[in-house]
This record gives sequence, C-alpha cells and structure tokens, in this order.
Amino acid sequence: MNTKRWKICGYTFLLMLGIITGILGVHNQQARADEPTYTIATNNTFAPFAIQDSQGTYKGKNPGIEIEMLQQIAQHEHFKYTLKPMSFDGDLQALESGQVDAIMAGMSVTDERKQKYDFSRSYYTSGVVMAVAKDSKITSLSQLKGKVVSSKPGTSAAIYLKKNQAKYGYKIKYFDSSNTMWNDVKIGNTSATFDDEPVIRYGIKQGMPLKVVSKKAIDSQPVAIAFQKDKNLAFQAKVNDGIKWMQKTGRLQKLVDKYTKSNVTNKKTSDTSFLGLIKANRAALLNGLWQTIQLTVIGILCALVFGLILGVLGIMQNKGAQALSSTIIYVFRGLPMIVLAFFIYMGIPNLTGHKIPLFTAGILTLMLDEGAYIGAIVKGGFDAVDQGQWEAARSLGLPYHKALRKVIAPQGLKIMVPSLVNQFIITLKDTSILSAIGVMELTQTGTVIISQNMEGFKMWLIIGMIYVIIITLLTWLSKYIQKRMG
Amino acid sequence: MTQAEQYKVQVTDLHKSYGKNEVLTGISLNVKPSEVVCMIGPSGSGKSTFLRCINKLEEANSGQIIVDGHDITDPQTDINKVRENIGMVFQHFNLFPNMSVLDNITLAPIELHKATPEQAKKDALHYLELVGLKDKANVRPQTLSGGQKQRVAIARALAMKPDVMLFDEPTSALDPEMVGDVLQVMKDLANDGMTMIVVTHEMGFAKQVADRVVFFHDGKIREQGTPEEIFTNPQHPDTKSFLDKVLNI
Repeated sequence: MNTKRWKICGYTFLLMLGIITGILGVHNQQARADEPTYTIATNNTFAPFAIQDSQGTYKGKNPGIEIEMLQQIAQHEHFKYTLKPMSFDGDLQALESGQVDAIMAGMSVTDERKQKYDFSRSYYTSGVVMAVAKDSKITSLSQLKGKVVSSKPGTSAAIYLKKNQAKYGYKIKYFDSSNTMWNDVKIGNTSATFDDEPVIRYGIKQGMPLKVVSKKAIDSQPVAIAFQKDKNLAFQAKVNDGIKWMQKTGRLQKLVDKYTKSNVTNKKTSDTSFLGLIKANRAALLNGLWQTIQLTVIGILCALVFGLILGVLGIMQNKGAQALSSTIIYVFRGLPMIVLAFFIYMGIPNLTGHKIPLFTAGILTLMLDEGAYIGAIVKGGFDAVDQGQWEAARSLGLPYHKALRKVIAPQGLKIMVPSLVNQFIITLKDTSILSAIGVMELTQTGTVIISQNMEGFKMWLIIGMIYVIIITLLTWLSKYIQKRMG
Repeated sequence: MTQAEQYKVQVTDLHKSYGKNEVLTGISLNVKPSEVVCMIGPSGSGKSTFLRCINKLEEANSGQIIVDGHDITDPQTDINKVRENIGMVFQHFNLFPNMSVLDNITLAPIELHKATPEQAKKDALHYLELVGLKDKANVRPQTLSGGQKQRVAIARALAMKPDVMLFDEPTSALDPEMVGDVLQVMKDLANDGMTMIVVTHEMGFAKQVADRVVFFHDGKIREQGTPEEIFTNPQHPDTKSFLDKVLNI
C-alpha cells in the first residue's frame, strides 16, 4: 500500500512536469507566423483607451480607442500582436524587463520618460483633472490641506501631485486601478482623485458618482506608445507610419469621437441584483474560478514536491543539506509573495533575457512560497515522529532511506495532514495575490468586472462568497480524507 | 582460534562523552558466543549508552568495537550489514504503529532481501508462536498490552536471525504482571544459546539467567563476575551499596 502511495506521488510529479512543459510549449508556438508578432502591455481599466470585456479580453464591440487604433494599424502595417493587460506600474516594469515590446496605455510623454523610453508619434493630448465626490464641497486644490488625494503610481497625475505636495499640503494615496481609486473617493476615504481627463470623464459617464472640478486640464501632454529605448526599431517605424496614416485619413478623429462624443458604453447590466450580476457575469466568473482552481491545484502539487524535498533535506544527517534546506525555507518564507511574483515575472527576465509566461510565473511563485511553508511543515512532521522509531528501524539494519520511506514518512505524513490541509486553503487564497502581475484569476476577474459595472460592493461580496464556498468544500473533503486515514 | 572467532563482541577502551560530560571512560568487555551478560548499575552509570554503542546507535569517541569480526568503529564498515546480525529490544518497544504486527516483523527481512514475502511471513508466524502471540499477527500494535508489545518486538528482532541480541531495559516500562512473560521469552532464548547483552534492573533474572554480571558505575565497569560472585560476595563498596539499595526494598 505504501509503495502505491509513493507511486502516486511519482506520477503526480511527472504529470506536473508535463503540464508545465505543455504551457511553455504552447507559449512558444505563438511566435510562429509569417508576420512578426509583438507583445504590447495595456492598462486593464483605462477606459476609454482600453476597455476589457468581462472575460478580461478586448474582443468586445467597443474595446477602446487604443485597441481599435491598434487593430487598424496592425492590419495596415502587416504585423500581429498579443495584448497584456496589467496595472500601469506593471506595464512599466514589464517593458523594462523586456516582457513586452511596447506599452500602449494612454501614456503621456514627459521629459523624464523620454530619457528612458522611445515614444511613437503622439495620437492624443491628455491632461490631468481633479475629481471629487458628487456631493463634495471641494472645488480647488487650495482646499486640500491635510486631506487625502489619490492617483495611480507612475502616472502623470502622480508626478503632478508629488511636485505640488509641499505647496498644497495634502497626503497622497496610490491605487493600481482607476476604479478602486474612484470608489475610494465615492465612499469618502479620499477627498479628491487625480486622473487623466478622458478616463475620468468616461468613468463618470459610466455612472461613477464623481464630478470633475478642474476648469481646465492641468499639465496637458501628448499621449504616445512607449518602446524600449533603441530597440525594435522596425516595429517603431511601423507604428509611427500607422499613426500618421490614421491621422491623415481622419480615422483617428473618428475613433476619438466615437468614444468621447457619443454615449458609447459597453452595455451595462440593467439588472443589478445579486442574481442579475451573477447571471450577467457568469462566464467571466467561471473563467476566473477555473483559473484560480488550476493555479491552486497545480501550485500546491508543485509546492508539495518542492516542500517534500526541502523537508527531507532538512532532516538529513548531512549538515550541508540541513543548512541548504533551512536557508531556502528562510528566504522564501521571509519574502512577501507579491515581491516574489514581481521578481519572477519581471526581475528574472531582466537578468536572463528570457520571457516567462504569466501562468508559469504564477505557478513558480506559488511553488516557491507555499513550498517553503510546506518544507517547514514536512520537516516538523518528520521531526515529530518519535526518535525511537528511527532507532528501531535502523537497528534492524534498514538503511536511512528505507527507514525514512517505510517507517518515518508514513507516520510523519499523518502528523502533517492537518497543517497541509491548512496550507492548501492558504494557497487557494494566496492565488489572489497573483492578480498583481495580471493573472486573470477570480480576484482579477472581479476587478475587471467592477471596472465596467461599477458595482463594487455587490461584486466583491459575490467574489468573497465564491471563495468561501470553495474553501468550505475543501475543508469537507479534507475532513473526509483525515477520517479515512485515521 | 583467532580472537575474532573467540568473541562475538569485543570492546576495547571505549570512550564516549556528550560535550564535556564523560559518560563512558574506557570500557573494555568481551562477550563469548552463547554468553548471557547482564549489565546492572544505577541510572546514569552509562550501561545503556554502552549497549547503544555496540550497534552504533551512539557513536563512540574513541576505542574499538568489533562485532562478529567487523570493526564498527571503522568508517569503512557498512554498519547496516553489521546491524542485520545484531537484534535490539528497546525499553519502549518502538513497534511501528503504521503497520500490523505481522508487517512489523516481516518489514526488515523483505526490505533487505533476507527472505521472500512468503518465507518472511512463515518465519514471522513461527517467531510469534515462539513468543505466544500467533493470534495477534493481524492486529495493530496499538491494541496490544505492554508485555505483548515487547514480545512482538523480540519476535521482530529475531526475524532477522541475529547472532547477538541487545536488550535495553526490556521490562522497565511494563506493568509488574507483564514482566514474567517477557522474561520467560528471554530465558528461552538464552537456553537456546543466543548471545545476549542485557541492561536490566531485574536482579532475579540476572541471578537466574546470566553467565556473567557486569556492574557499571560512573561510566566505568567497577566489578564483574558470575551472578554468585556479584550478588553474594560483592567486592567493591559501590557494588555493595547499589545492591543494598535494590535488593532491600
């Protein structure tokens, strides 16, 4: 029976390897085509420039000015592209690390940025405006002394706020997505928010109860696509030609008008009851849930293997192995998971020059972080087995590995089960952290849906309920397994 | 006859310390085939540590230990091979709770390819019969009494067909009414000619069964001799005072 268990572990490991290579393989295949393919980072909630549908893609009827512009340019200039929706901060890091070839996210051209990136021809002029809650009495910057204002990190609004902070005496709070930021103003945590004019006006049009109080946009600046400096020159040329062509033929103006003049909105759900929201976003929620489950299951399997190795190294008589195990556990337990995720997805490609697919980066993050915890659990479980068991097994002449496998491991595993189950549940919750690097799991799905329907409270309640339901199911399952093992 | 053949276990000037605490200070002891040596002495005198050095559960700091002609203090020696021929019985039995009584006994012979699974099972049932527990083959150790557990532990050690058996206070953790059964099994073993080294507080057993009684005190062998010599005419004052304490309760 024991051999069977070990065989299962072995097969699981092979399966896992297979899945990972599969993912890597699929990713590589995308590159094969006659026309060049470029990867472009976008800002996931940057309407009207980019508007995701509830699946997290831009396949909807009104995907935004930039997305439609790119579609036309790509057709005209003969290239293909993959879009990577991320937070703006993530966009910048992704470009610097070479994960993407360009950023197209309503990015204003500043002198500071010009030193770091190459910019395309500008296709829009945008400025920062200040918005407050609909019923707020604040009308100007001078009323903000001691109050909290908000912007997205790295945006021109943020640069403006930083520059004038001493003058007006406000505190700055940063958010990764416009929508969360606006909601914070709506509920009164933030007094005023600073965002690009078209973006905020679009949000208000969509039903966000804010009002713009700036008479005129501050710091009006050209908006353009950013590239890595002195790289991808052919691509840069194609984009510039494309923009020039769109401007000359009036196509660009038509697009801008479409999104800012008429009342274009992604069709809003009229039914905003819980059931209505669930029904309207069923496919997106299921997609997110499926991604979360995949991440959890594959992540925990990888983490189990990694943790088992760490645990076994940790109890070996070899001092070097012990030190290696405790160092790895120390490092990865000490690192916040979000830092680890950024490091793997953005940092490693910076060093090696090889891109890491998003899902793989997510799995690696989970494997290292949760694996370190599992390593500590495994080591603790093995250590908790009575020393007399080792002595009895070894005194019979069983070598170390056989004593471990036949006598110590089965007893240790039994001790570990409750902690492992707990770690499994933690892993499920931790997958939400991967939304930071843009993985479309359940939490990220929620962010995207809310950016369209503005139903923050109800949607987060629905997302929360989904998590609680899966965790409840998991807990039942684990109780059943423990009962059978006991 | 060479020395190695003359003695089953040959220990020369064994030293062992934990940090600064010297537990064994130069022990030498030779055990002949089929000899039964009982080691007595106060707790902390080093007798258990000495026993555990013989199958290298504790590593000696210096000195030489030769078992069956194998020098186990030599790092080149495959200790697992030597251990196959040294059975050990512990105070707390140390049965494997994750397997049945039968599997406890057949595990090592099967894993170490000493017997086919069928043969190992047959042997196991034979040894269980020997210790009077044939009907318990398929139960888990947790359901057994202390005395039964210890007899299973003896059967488990015997299943490797060892040349030497080490007993580390085998009856100390037992309820008094269980002690007799275990001692009886050990007596039978001794009568069958097994070489045995027994750390024990059972003076009655030592008197009856031992060929030689060794008195440990402060990490040294203070005195040794036949049971009669030690129990009726101890020479060393430490031996006398120890025996006064344990025999006059």
